[in-house]
Amino acid sequence: MSDHTPEPDDLRELGERLDEARRREAAKAPKQASVAPLSVAFRFSTELVAAIIVGGALGWGMDWLFGTRPIFMVILFMLGAAAGIRNVMSAAKEINERAAKAAKDNKD
Amino acid sequence: MAMTPMAQFSVKPLVSAPILTIAGHPIYFTNQALWMCVLVAAASLFLIAGGARRSMVPGRLQSMAELSYEFVGNMIESAAGKDGLRFFPFVFAIFFFVLFSNYFGLIPGVFTVTSQIAVTFALAALVITVVVVTGFVQHGFRFLKLFVPEAPFILLILMVPIEVISFLTRPISLSVRLFANMLAGHTMLQVFAGFVIALAGAGGILSALSLAPMLLIIAIMALEFLVAGLQAYVFAILTCIYLNEALHLHDHH
Repeated sequence: MSDHTPEPDDLRELGERLDEARRREAAKAPKQASVAPLSVAFRFSTELVAAIIVGGALGWGMDWLFGTRPIFMVILFMLGAAAGIRNVMSAAKEINERAAKAAKDNKD
Repeated sequence: MAMTPMAQFSVKPLVSAPILTIAGHPIYFTNQALWMCVLVAAASLFLIAGGARRSMVPGRLQSMAELSYEFVGNMIESAAGKDGLRFFPFVFAIFFFVLFSNYFGLIPGVFTVTSQIAVTFALAALVITVVVVTGFVQHGFRFLKLFVPEAPFILLILMVPIEVISFLTRPISLSVRLFANMLAGHTMLQVFAGFVIALAGAGGILSALSLAPMLLIIAIMALEFLVAGLQAYVFAILTCIYLNEALHLHDHH
């Protein structure tokens, strides 16, 4: 290859250097936790609290609409609590799946 | 004291005359609107400038633009699958808006747009609207099966309302999480900054003690850098996860 079109050589050399650097980094980098614990904690608490608030507010609104205070509020508050726990469970499941996937990708 | 910790979050008009009136409500150009314009301009500039050169061996700016493109692309593909990539512009725009807003907010004196529940809720409502519309366009009324888990009929009486509430929770938890994180962080910084000033002004040994909250501020600032990026990521990944459900209903479980 002539001196006037040095790009392919340059690129190949750069590619080699990059590969080498990546191997070095991969060798020394410790296994990184894929999800920060802080965000997980915050995620769970908001999921739970938001569901209870939504349930309570819905019930309050329905009572206001039908004039049946406090029947719907009590029922929907409890359903909201159940929905909150369900939210937390599905969030935990999804975070686990993502962590497992990330761990698998790291190994590959 | 002139500055209370919450004063930094107050929205005030920059021009005393309203720029337009909608149904009798005056609309003002506020500090919030100004910073939204600034951060949208900054994000656009970053990506346009990063994409302008298109050299084979990217420079720093181009690398950053390409990396962020690939990062969001991978995120969507892993959470919502290949056909989720149709929503790339949407997710990318949301991610960058939140990311830039969070990081701009860390610059002293800059108004944090995402510390307003109105902004984060508008974003979350937009996400949920897109999810619901996508679901109905993709599946028609079969989309409503999202609320009907596989269970005996007698349990469905209980399960369907729970699923509906759980779905309605999403815009609330999505918006409150982002808003509360930004609000708490910035309030904390300001409260400790107040301690520094109060202690330094007290004189004697108390002045020396003002170093302690000072160090704490540095630590909180580092934490805030982490939180700013993380919350933008969480917002975007949850958008992808919700889109995934709308696109594929239950088949991915």
